[in-house]
Amino acid sequence: MARQAHRLAGLAAIMLALPLKTPVQAADVAFGEYLANECVTCHQKTGNYSGIPSITGWPQQTFVQALNSYRWRERQNPIMQTIADQLNDDEMAALAAYFEQLGPPQIAVEEPATQTANQRTTQ
Amino acid sequence: MITRRVFGQWAGSSVLTAAAVGLSAPALAQGKAKVVVIGGGAGGATAAKYIAKDSAGAIEVTLVEPAKQFVTCFHSNLYLGGVKKFEEITHTYDKLASAYGIKLNHQTAASIDRDKKQVKLADGSVLSYDRLVVSPGIDLKYDSVPGWGKDHEEVMPHAWKAGPQTKLLKAKLDAVKDGGVIIMLAPPNPFRCPPGPYERVSMMAHALKTAGKTKCKIIVLDAKDKFSKQALFTEGWEAQYPGMVEWMAPSVHDGIKSVDPKTNTVVTGFETYKDAALVNVIPAQWAGAIARDSGLVNETGYCPIDPANMRSAKDANIYVIGDACIAGDMPKSAFSANSQAKMAAMMVRGELAGAKTFPARYANTCWSQIDTDYTIKVGGRYEAKDGKISAVENFISQTGEAAALRKQTQEENIGWYAGITADIFG
Repeated sequence: MARQAHRLAGLAAIMLALPLKTPVQAADVAFGEYLANECVTCHQKTGNYSGIPSITGWPQQTFVQALNSYRWRERQNPIMQTIADQLNDDEMAALAAYFEQLGPPQIAVEEPATQTANQRTTQ
Repeated sequence: MITRRVFGQWAGSSVLTAAAVGLSAPALAQGKAKVVVIGGGAGGATAAKYIAKDSAGAIEVTLVEPAKQFVTCFHSNLYLGGVKKFEEITHTYDKLASAYGIKLNHQTAASIDRDKKQVKLADGSVLSYDRLVVSPGIDLKYDSVPGWGKDHEEVMPHAWKAGPQTKLLKAKLDAVKDGGVIIMLAPPNPFRCPPGPYERVSMMAHALKTAGKTKCKIIVLDAKDKFSKQALFTEGWEAQYPGMVEWMAPSVHDGIKSVDPKTNTVVTGFETYKDAALVNVIPAQWAGAIARDSGLVNETGYCPIDPANMRSAKDANIYVIGDACIAGDMPKSAFSANSQAKMAAMMVRGELAGAKTFPARYANTCWSQIDTDYTIKVGGRYEAKDGKISAVENFISQTGEAAALRKQTQEENIGWYAGITADIFG
């Protein structure tokens, strides 16, 4: 019993000492990777694209804004609207974190919009 | 004692839990866990790749697939229509071996010994497994159309498994003279790719129209009263190929009585069609033989699964994915197979390598090209609910949509194919 506790404590110490992202960010990326299963059939993980935009390496705020603009019907693609309707804010954040760390952006990406433009209520 | 290999896996993508500490160390201490995947299509190749790439070397994956190159049934209609070349729908397995360490075994799986957890291959050799993923696709029911059988598939092709049949159908299509009649027998439910026969009708008409053969007729004798995206296809045929396509429900043609491959004749209760220029028989289907011969199917001829994880309802060590399984509201499609494969891969890694798992979520979109810059789609998202994989949301193209939207949908269709084939084989 004591040895098990000692083993876990030792492991925790090793995890904290590592030059990794914080535990919360690491969890977001793992969750984002799971959520991204259906995304990556169209939006390629390599960032390559043909007919469907590349979404790797986007700043997270820009990524979330793009998804929200489907939710708010500013953008019209029905597949993306369905997807955005289903995602809550945590899921969008996780996807944004996952896709950002996949590599540098392959297309020109907009700067994130200003704070006032971003203040909308989500149902 | 925490080994470096175990630690490396935790530092990677999995979230550490106390339970994972207890479960994974003993499994790895016995050496690598073994997974065999039967079938190298959209389901099996995806499963093999996702199990291998995310398990940090803890799982040895063997992919059993007789073909050394895979020709996709999806977009084979575009090749028929002259929109894509055959090379564009052909893919190799090299990257799966070189990038992910998957062992390729280019043979047919002959049988499964579920008690011993072994797969026997055609040459008599045996593969042991801790978990087995069965993704054999469909087989054609050769006895379901009177007068037609395996001996006749070169004369009246099905081309419902891609490869030589696809090329054969294209050659026959291109040889049809102006004014020739093409007859398609469309299958009963459930079958691979619900909109597929109707995309094929569209692409055949497109090829004929492009060649100036607008006096040709395509007659569809369906086993069903209605079909996927019917209003959209009907609108498209009338607009793009006026007078060239006639679809008949069973109540109109009164049933297929027989076909004669020697004379390309089709006899229905309503009429006899003699000397057709081309007869495309798409017969009834069931799960691939390896699934049927191993007790994995039920009375429907397809494999029941646990919707929460794609595990076979008949064997806890076996997962069945893709066209061979009973997937509730999901259609039999490559997109579905790829989606199911990722869930199965996650669950296998959870069982064998202590990986974190999430609740199963599935998705599908089917694009169907009707003409140049004119494509329609249908799709949905799915979860385990009410004892099956149930749709939680659906979407479908609308009749009367703007041309610009239909063109954008075709661009998506092309982009999706590039994406999913990179996801499966790259």
